[in-house]
Amino acid sequence: MAVVSSTIEVRDLVKTFSSARALDGLDLEVAPGEVHGFLGPNGAGKSTTIRILLGLLRSTDGTATVFGLDPWRDSTDIHRRLAYVPGDVSVWPNLSGGETIDLLLRMRDLDPRATDRDRLLERFELDPTKKGRAYSKGNRQKVALVAAFAAPTDLLILDEPTSGLDPLMEQVFNECLAEHKAAGTTVLLSSHILSEVERLADRVTIIRRGRTVETGSLAELRHLRRNRVRAEVSGPVPDLAALDGVHDVVVDGRVVSASVDPAGLPPLLGALHHAGVVSLTSSPPTLEELFLDAYRSSP
Amino acid sequence: MSDRLRGTGLLLRFALRRDRILLPTWIGLLTATVVASAAATGPLYATTAERVAAAEALNASPAIVALYGPILDTSSLGELSMTKMTVLYAVFVAFMSVVVVRRHTRVEEETGRAELVGATAVGVDAPLAAAVAEAALASVVLGVLVAAGNIASGLPVTGSVLFAASWTGIGLVGAGITVLAAQLSSSARTVGFAASGTIGVLYLLRAIGDTSADWLSWLTPFGWGTRLSAWSEPRTWLLLAYPLLAGALAAGGVALRRRRDLGAGILPDRAGPAEGAPRLRDALALVWRQQGTALVGWTAGIGVMGVLMGSIVPNIGDLLDTETTRPIIEAMGGIGALQDSLVFALASVIAVVITCFGISAVTRAAGDEHDGRTETVLATATSRAGLLVAVSSAAILGSTWLLLVSGTATAIGWGRGLGAVGAALAQAPAVWVVLGVALLLLSVRSRWAVAGWAVLAAFVTLGQVGAGLELPGWVLGVSPFHHVPKYPSEAFDWRPELVLTVLAAALVSLAWWRYRARDIG
Repeated sequence: MAVVSSTIEVRDLVKTFSSARALDGLDLEVAPGEVHGFLGPNGAGKSTTIRILLGLLRSTDGTATVFGLDPWRDSTDIHRRLAYVPGDVSVWPNLSGGETIDLLLRMRDLDPRATDRDRLLERFELDPTKKGRAYSKGNRQKVALVAAFAAPTDLLILDEPTSGLDPLMEQVFNECLAEHKAAGTTVLLSSHILSEVERLADRVTIIRRGRTVETGSLAELRHLRRNRVRAEVSGPVPDLAALDGVHDVVVDGRVVSASVDPAGLPPLLGALHHAGVVSLTSSPPTLEELFLDAYRSSP
Repeated sequence: MSDRLRGTGLLLRFALRRDRILLPTWIGLLTATVVASAAATGPLYATTAERVAAAEALNASPAIVALYGPILDTSSLGELSMTKMTVLYAVFVAFMSVVVVRRHTRVEEETGRAELVGATAVGVDAPLAAAVAEAALASVVLGVLVAAGNIASGLPVTGSVLFAASWTGIGLVGAGITVLAAQLSSSARTVGFAASGTIGVLYLLRAIGDTSADWLSWLTPFGWGTRLSAWSEPRTWLLLAYPLLAGALAAGGVALRRRRDLGAGILPDRAGPAEGAPRLRDALALVWRQQGTALVGWTAGIGVMGVLMGSIVPNIGDLLDTETTRPIIEAMGGIGALQDSLVFALASVIAVVITCFGISAVTRAAGDEHDGRTETVLATATSRAGLLVAVSSAAILGSTWLLLVSGTATAIGWGRGLGAVGAALAQAPAVWVVLGVALLLLSVRSRWAVAGWAVLAAFVTLGQVGAGLELPGWVLGVSPFHHVPKYPSEAFDWRPELVLTVLAAALVSLAWWRYRARDIG
């Protein structure tokens, strides 16, 4: 191949269910080998996007490709190269966990005995002899995770994969994901757990109401957001609120604090310099602020 | 009201809301069948002599007695009108309670919804009490409608009320059986099998009792319907037996319920293998693994049923050789012809039962999709074609296998070969058409698959009441079972069979065409 194209490429994706517009021009691009965080509030369209990528739903409009293939037409070719963990795993009530894992592996044309399943069962502390109906939510999740992590694969699609796992098991999940990442697996990780995304994701896409709000590396996203600046001046406090890109100015004696757009930083620093700045702190937005901001505000 | 029952009324209203389509449909179909039968029988047998002749002809056939129970008062119009209802259709009344009680107890526990309800300020016994109350209410409403319908059709008031009460009673017994069964296993499916299996056994015991050992029929609630003798010199006290038995069963269930945890069964869950068999590698193997256990049970049940039914056929000659019945038989073409027409009649009843296996395979696929398991399967290299082929094969091949089993078993019981096997297999194209409709419903929208039951019920109702109501031929012809050649009593006609087979193939193709194009989930 001459050009290394994106593993997942979604452009202007639209999906309508009878009356509701679940996706409304969504864009998503996942580069080969990256762990891509896929974030958004409940009902934003994360699972709908993933189901379209898996060829389970047909898009109303727009394009989506996985490995350069059409997920609707070429779904089985695509599926041979990926593993999927849904957010709410349902298993067959009368099959044991071991049977379910082996079945899912064989359905991906893998031989369970040639995989890591036994080691993963131990790491996830999962009893494979229990019947499906006896598993708790966390254990059902483990069944899907063991099946997904047991063999090397080109792409992992994980839809809130750690829901129901305890912190110890989340740790195991993180290790497994890191191992696959090191082996070059591309990962689309839909998650609500910010620390998980922060630790693992190279880039993130934030969606809201079926549209992409932000996309980029965390550093880039932070850069786009306002810093919180707090300064103490020796002279009179200047009128900072009049400056472009400076917001939420609070004055308390000689201490002034404000939110600053990246573009507003030079004039702010100039004004503070003139006022005789004594001390200055500037803090980047926390992840929570970043996400809450993106979740709440209109695009 | 004690704390244990707190919230029962609320849960009952909630259950009724959830069953707002299921229960009216079920009650409506049964009531319609009763009213149609009552309305049609009167004009058909205007004089007492005609009724006696008809009743004696029915009584003379062990197969019919095995199916419907005997007619005790041959001169009674009511008893003749309700021949099929007294015992055979009472099974559907019992099943109504099985479905309702299982749906609101064990299914709720298996899905975890019971936990959600249990964590609210609702009493421990309230969900069970609400489910039983709903089944009882449905049985009573059915009874009232059936009594009113029969009276309106001109049948005697006392008989109509007593007969309807026996139906309400059998509904209560069905609920009692299910309450007990629901405590045994943590699997809703196993509970369903246990409850319907018990009803099947009770029905079978009565069939044996009615044809050979009267005392056996007194032991099963399906024998009481006949022995109540609702239409003349009734044993009204026998009506007490239903609530007594139902109460005892339910009390046993409640006692067991208190000894187990929510979600658990009295019988412990067995551990499964730690590794999957290499055979279990694709959608086909998965679906057959899922339906396999059921198929084994069905094969045994259909086999026993077939042998029993078949063994009754040869006796017909000796039993029918009486002064009154001889002319009837001669008019029908002699003993041989009568045997042949019975074999056809048996095959058509068993075919409907077998269709239920196929429909359950289709609705199971719908359940897999609803719960998200289909999504998991289709996210692997499994194609939609592979999955639909697997589901269709389980439904269609499984049913065809059961038809073969029933034909062979009937032939063994009868002692004659090809006739019974041919009669059973002649039903296959009609069964395929019904399954084709069910598959098409699944393929349009998974939630519609359950309507396959309604389609089958409609076809059966049409066949049972349509002729009596003198509906036009094209209406009767809507049911594929109407077109099955009456082999072996008539020559085998391959033309309708071919048309049905082509129609079934078209339905399955249409299903496939829709299934590949629709959203999953």
